[in-house]
Amino acid sequence: MPPLSRFLLPFKYAKERYAGHPLRLSIAALKTIFIFHVFWQYGYSIAPLAGPSMLPTFEVTGDSVIVSRYYRRGRGIKVGDMVSFDSVVEPGESVLKRVLGLQGDYVLRDTPGTTDSMIQVPEGHCWVVGDNLPWSRDSRHFGPMPVALIKGKAIAKVLPWSERRWIEDGLQSVDHT
Amino acid sequence: MSSNRMLSFFNRNTTWGKSFHDFNYRLFIFMTWVPAVIFFNGNVGELTRINGPSMYPYLNTSYNEDLKKDLCWVSKWNPTRNLERGMLVSFQSPNNPEKLAIKRVIALEGDVVYTRAPCPLPTVQVPINHVWVEGDNRDKSLDSNSYGPLPMSLIQGKLTYVLWPWKSSGPIHWRQFKGRTRVIAGRRQDAPNWD
Repeated sequence: MPPLSRFLLPFKYAKERYAGHPLRLSIAALKTIFIFHVFWQYGYSIAPLAGPSMLPTFEVTGDSVIVSRYYRRGRGIKVGDMVSFDSVVEPGESVLKRVLGLQGDYVLRDTPGTTDSMIQVPEGHCWVVGDNLPWSRDSRHFGPMPVALIKGKAIAKVLPWSERRWIEDGLQSVDHT
Repeated sequence: MSSNRMLSFFNRNTTWGKSFHDFNYRLFIFMTWVPAVIFFNGNVGELTRINGPSMYPYLNTSYNEDLKKDLCWVSKWNPTRNLERGMLVSFQSPNNPEKLAIKRVIALEGDVVYTRAPCPLPTVQVPINHVWVEGDNRDKSLDSNSYGPLPMSLIQGKLTYVLWPWKSSGPIHWRQFKGRTRVIAGRRQDAPNWD
């Protein structure tokens, strides 16, 4: 057998198997979709962001991040991470906010500068706040959020491509200017 | 040659090599169905075993007598649509995110609930897109009286059928449920919200 045609063997095999077999072909297509679905749900996903709530970090429109699903249900989440979760206020809507407190931590209940009252985050919950304090609806309004709602953690910014970067430890990178 | 004999392990023309290849092929075909099963279990429905006494006596009826656990069918297609009082729902516990909890919906958005012991307030009005869940076993249940109203986006499925034990198997008639918790029915538009 000539060596190059070895690389054409899979195509030859696929043609033999699927050409003229519509049922086989559609089942194979479905399986492929399920493989991608599982990768999207349990591996990594790309989330386009919209809205002003994370403003110094992410623009209002046009930014996208890679969300690692390893951190779903809050596994291995640390203070300062940006997490994507199902909205408490509007079901079906996915939100990205920064974790400012985990269970047992004491956090400021309101916007800094208004009151000094603090609360302790209950068991299995976290405290999420947007970076843009005046334009964010977050734990200051709806209270501690169950960690089980977390779908993943933002690990890299990919769009716009020229601004691509890994997202470093959130506790250091916020820059107040 | 000895190397020839060793490599015959991978040679599909010998009898042994052929069955080895055949087994690998079947294994591959089996593996390609795994994502389909994962999708089905996550989005269509899943068999779930009920642990613990929190829904006794409705589920795990023989909890005090033996170690058998009820087997239920959890329907996961659009679980938060058309929720009604009395339905059984499954969700990840707000106190322990790795634990699956099954409780009964007691009150919907806008309802006023008269709470029980661990809850610090005498009455609670359920906020928008939340539900109030309680276990049927009032003494041994960690429910909304401990962690407050449950966000609807946490709900993963509705229990529709009991499959095992045979005695109590059948569809779950959640409309016939008469709870002891006092609830004043309210409207969704009157529920507290954050707009």
